Amino acid sequence: MTVAPVSKKTQRFPLGKERSQAAVQRPRRKRGEASNFSIRMGQLALAVIVLGAWEMLGRIGVIDPFFFPLPSDILMTVWLWVSSGFVFPHLWITLQESILAFLTGAAAGLVLGFLLARVRFLERLLDPFLQMFNALPRVVLAPIFLLWFGLGIWSKVAFGFTLVFFIVFFNTLEGVKSVDRVLVDNARMLGASEKQLLRHVFIPSALTWIFSSLHISVGFAITGAVVGEYLGASAGVGYAIAQAQGVFDTKGVFAGMFILMFVVLIIDLLVNRLERHLLRWRPVRSS
Amino acid sequence: MTQPSQPESSTYAVELNGCTKEFATPGGGSYFAVRDIDLKVEPGRFVSIVGPTGSGKSTILNMAAGLLNPSSGTVHSFGEPVLGVNRGASYMFQQDALLPWKSVIDNVSLGLTMAGVSKAEAYDESRRWLEKVGLKNFADRYPHQLSGGMRKRTAVAQAWIVNPDILLMDEPFSALDVQTRQIMENELLQLWQESNKAVVFITHDLDEAIALSDEVVILGAGPGSTVVGSYEIDIPRPRDLLDIRDDPKFVELHREIWGRLKVEVSKTYESAREEEESDAA
Repeated sequence: MTVAPVSKKTQRFPLGKERSQAAVQRPRRKRGEASNFSIRMGQLALAVIVLGAWEMLGRIGVIDPFFFPLPSDILMTVWLWVSSGFVFPHLWITLQESILAFLTGAAAGLVLGFLLARVRFLERLLDPFLQMFNALPRVVLAPIFLLWFGLGIWSKVAFGFTLVFFIVFFNTLEGVKSVDRVLVDNARMLGASEKQLLRHVFIPSALTWIFSSLHISVGFAITGAVVGEYLGASAGVGYAIAQAQGVFDTKGVFAGMFILMFVVLIIDLLVNRLERHLLRWRPVRSS
Repeated sequence: MTQPSQPESSTYAVELNGCTKEFATPGGGSYFAVRDIDLKVEPGRFVSIVGPTGSGKSTILNMAAGLLNPSSGTVHSFGEPVLGVNRGASYMFQQDALLPWKSVIDNVSLGLTMAGVSKAEAYDESRRWLEKVGLKNFADRYPHQLSGGMRKRTAVAQAWIVNPDILLMDEPFSALDVQTRQIMENELLQLWQESNKAVVFITHDLDEAIALSDEVVILGAGPGSTVVGSYEIDIPRPRDLLDIRDDPKFVELHREIWGRLKVEVSKTYESAREEEESDAA
């Protein structure tokens, strides 16, 4: 009797993204669905069970703590990094890179997306080149960016830019192109100029698409920064992880990972808030 | 087809002369949506265009609106050629055309704010209109929170607030249930009677057309349809739409116009059947 509901509960929390989104949508409670509070408790219990099992298995020697350091040791390292202040300059560098990469990439993607969606000629002209660059695995750009922009933050910004740009660009393009014809005609009949069409029709309509990609593009901005740092840098969380790896300090590697996860989770929550505010006109999806 | 007094051509609110619209098909060919359309609408008159499915009713309306350019022929509005969007006209679409990301009041005031009216003034005017269409308490709702009838009321307010000389309506109430539709028609007629606007109203419902209009124009079967008849509706106004279907004059007109429309409707039906059969063969 006690087993069945537990397995049901774990099914209801898929890992990662979907979980946080499901929590934010806050669907009207259906019959038989648990309340928010019990979901939170379930999540907490799940985390405790997994980490507890990991700790136990490590302590009795089933898994090798050299490769899978004990959660307690990882938390100690996290605490050490945080309390000594060691991690904050690195985190700050990584955040700077991510924010700059996101802002520049999103801005360029938006502008080019709108432009190409409105000017058919440009779209047809540039399409093969954009497809080509998008098909390129971005990691291979990291070495060349290191040469061009040096070990500082700008090589990572450039790297993150190439990741963010294409996501925002393609979503904007699709978003603007898929605007309902009737809405455009209606606004034009009410006297909208091209600029007003953009402001009242195209941008809000594209926003839904852009926001659906925002979680991914924010994640990619951080990915770009960390991977760039990992490949060559003088500071940043990726650099700290690479340093720890260099001396076989797996606790340090995991500590870096945990800190990053936590930061990304907070950023994701902020994005969710922003999304909920800007898309408040949208009907709540019933699923 | 007789009109009591023929005004100067420059005073027509909408005037289509020999308008033909040709569309390219995906296969590389082309077909005529409408051919040689002549349509004259005097200011303050309510004209309905009725025709079978696929007779290009919306094409005619879009040409009058300036959303479509005729392949040949000319469109004039109050003597001016219509190039680009017709500034003197408002358009009510068959589909929902409210901006879903704007609240009701923002949707209604859109035409004014885009014309440069200050937000406060536009809101005051919008509130007046919302009261008129019975949506006073729904100003802050978003379109998806309204019923179909309420969305249509909002669309009416949105179209009328800019005080156009011409109203183009493309089956605006066809998505509504019968009762809501009759109420909306009544309200439309009341609004229109207080104004001096020309209305071009598209419908496939002959009852609706006769009940509302001064003139009913019948389109032939498509493609390449053209005007096959035009009937003056001299039922006195104000009309009570809820009882008008029993009016002997209404019955007589309906019989006469339906006699003509029936021919076109059955032509459309026949050609659709032939197409199906040739597809199947």
